[in-house]
Amino acid sequence: MAIKFPSPEWLQALNDKLNTDTHYAQIAKTWEGDMIVIIEPSGPLLEKQYYYLDLWHGTCRKTEIMKTLPAIMPKFVLTATYANISRIMKGELDPMSAMLTRKLQVHGSMAYMMRNVPTVLDFVRCAREVTTEILE
Amino acid sequence: MQPILKVNLSTRESSDFIIPAEWERDYLGGASLGARLLYSTLLKDLDPYGPEAPLLFLNGPLSGTSGPTVGRFVVCGKSPATNLWAESNCGGFWGPELRFCGYDGLWITGRAKEPIFLWLQDNLLEFRDANAVWGKDTYESQSIIKTELSISGTHVLTIGPAGENGIKFAGLYCDHGRSAGRTGLGAVAGAKNLKAIALKGTKKIPLAQPEIFGPIRSASNHFLKDDTITQVVHELGTAGVADYADYLGGTPKKYFHQGVFEGVDKVSGSAMAETILVGVSACHACVVACGRVVRLEDGQKRKGPEYETLIGFGPNLLNDDMPLIVRLGEICDREGMDTISASNVIGLAYHLFQKGVISENDIGFPLNWGDMSGVSRLLQLTARREGIGNILAEGSRQFGAHFGAEDEAVQVNGLEVPYHDPRGVSGMALVYATSPRGACHNKSDYFLVDWGQADTSLGLQFFERHAGAEKAANVALHQNWRSLCDALVLCLFGNVPAEMVAGLVNAACGYDYKVNDLLRIGERAWTLKRAINIRLGLTRENDNLPKALLEPLPDGPTAGYVPPIEEMLTAYYNSRGWDSESGKPTPSKLSELGMEWIINDIWNR
Repeated sequence: MAIKFPSPEWLQALNDKLNTDTHYAQIAKTWEGDMIVIIEPSGPLLEKQYYYLDLWHGTCRKTEIMKTLPAIMPKFVLTATYANISRIMKGELDPMSAMLTRKLQVHGSMAYMMRNVPTVLDFVRCAREVTTEILE
Repeated sequence: MQPILKVNLSTRESSDFIIPAEWERDYLGGASLGARLLYSTLLKDLDPYGPEAPLLFLNGPLSGTSGPTVGRFVVCGKSPATNLWAESNCGGFWGPELRFCGYDGLWITGRAKEPIFLWLQDNLLEFRDANAVWGKDTYESQSIIKTELSISGTHVLTIGPAGENGIKFAGLYCDHGRSAGRTGLGAVAGAKNLKAIALKGTKKIPLAQPEIFGPIRSASNHFLKDDTITQVVHELGTAGVADYADYLGGTPKKYFHQGVFEGVDKVSGSAMAETILVGVSACHACVVACGRVVRLEDGQKRKGPEYETLIGFGPNLLNDDMPLIVRLGEICDREGMDTISASNVIGLAYHLFQKGVISENDIGFPLNWGDMSGVSRLLQLTARREGIGNILAEGSRQFGAHFGAEDEAVQVNGLEVPYHDPRGVSGMALVYATSPRGACHNKSDYFLVDWGQADTSLGLQFFERHAGAEKAANVALHQNWRSLCDALVLCLFGNVPAEMVAGLVNAACGYDYKVNDLLRIGERAWTLKRAINIRLGLTRENDNLPKALLEPLPDGPTAGYVPPIEEMLTAYYNSRGWDSESGKPTPSKLSELGMEWIINDIWNR
């Protein structure tokens, strides 16, 4: 079955991947923190989307598509336009490059983020691997 | 621009120098203008310690405004360490204060008969006796001079004992521990018996179009605040990138001979933030505030280390004791020595001791990796040129040569290599090999581009971090941009879009430059510094890397890799329009840049 990004099916597939991928389980074994990925509308995406993931010790405890930001902010908020985030998903844009060139904005503890760059990169690998189709 | 104040310390004469308008237009300011101003002076037979040697302090056209990261000044001259072009820039508040005095530069020659310091209050210059502070460290000197002058808001730039004693990597220090550390210009000041320069100004910074400048400045500072690099550097200091640098194998360990060090996690901006960090400090009008304030076990607040100091006295020496790194950095700052060069030459001493090239008879005590007990002593011996310190004070190249092991020194053209290993980020191979002041990470911080910070608005592309010759033109382009930043004396952490920088320059100066014009100004200055160095004896063979960086590491993320430097250099010369055999800019390239006037000088016509 094609898994199109972004969609509820895609978020569920990512949840399943994060809970079964042994490499991610190993590299993210000390990660503690939830995040929201905010996808700003651009191109074919017409409405802002909020994807919530609760990541804990190499697993994903919960995912949810939200309508707005929650009252209690998660540990990290990642924001990108759909154009940029779809380029990351397609492997056309390196996630660190996206962060360093403001194509992906990060809000949260920079100390924690810089300590855990390998986890972040492996999270993106998992996200790419479950994506078989991109909204065009 | 405002005038430059020329001061002859021998005759105690001073005069205003008006910068020719076409030089302002073609070079803008900072190190680029400095190269143009000193071109005819910097010749092979000029003794960097002689009275005729220049010490030129310059600002840029944005310095001292409220723009983004514009608190820096640069000092230029001939380096006693490299005998080549020297420039070193410094943050804090001293540079802006010089502009508040009504001057955009200070051009010092001569030699005072006795130690003196200069006191410039607006345009009133005094030569003051510095015997009371001669021999004092940089922190004490600043404090004593400020007390003597008793005028609030005075900023003091000073040398320490290292500068007085002609240490080849002595720097100049202001605003507590802000330093112009590289290339040994503190020793040039010491040779002039110039201990310090104190400033207090009340004038306004000139702007051609203040009504246009204001909104762009405001927008650029807001932009900067939201930048990811700004957030990392604000929260974690410049050492905030240490974790990622290590992940990619870019952090040198055991004097560039080891790829893995168990204690590396204890030595980073994150580790500092989690342990001893109690505050931050900023330069003039800066929203980044990269400076660290830490508290150690004695309860005293101190300057915390930036990336280079942290790695130099940390993994480079197989040390993971963060408070000790803080203290070693403070010794360097107080004595007035560059932490990169100081930690590098001490790393070389450890390396040669372990190889059996030097012994306890040479040093006075053993230097075993991981045993840090002798490092503070080595630093103090160096600053005073006592015992082995007298040889360490000459820098890595001379230290190695003294013991018949010059090729073991990790330096390029006499300047010690900073702590971004080209085996982790290959672009730094070209940067170190071709920098106009010897191995330098600030003439192009290309490691950030190799990590992904490729600003496409400048025409930069992203190449894989171990790519080779294909990234040569990209490196040259980035050098041109950073050369422009050096003209403006912009801090490299001011990650502001190029279009905004152009807008600020135009509003400040009344020009109508586009980004491509600024890149051309950067390229012109880069080429001019190359021409200066060619006249000082630099040849194609000088564009190289030390042996250690051309040997693969045995372990770690870059094990087995060495940058293909020869292929990269050939591609680099081609991309620059330089002759690939001699490394000289070709006459056609010089003409294209409007620099016909130096063709005869470097082609011996």
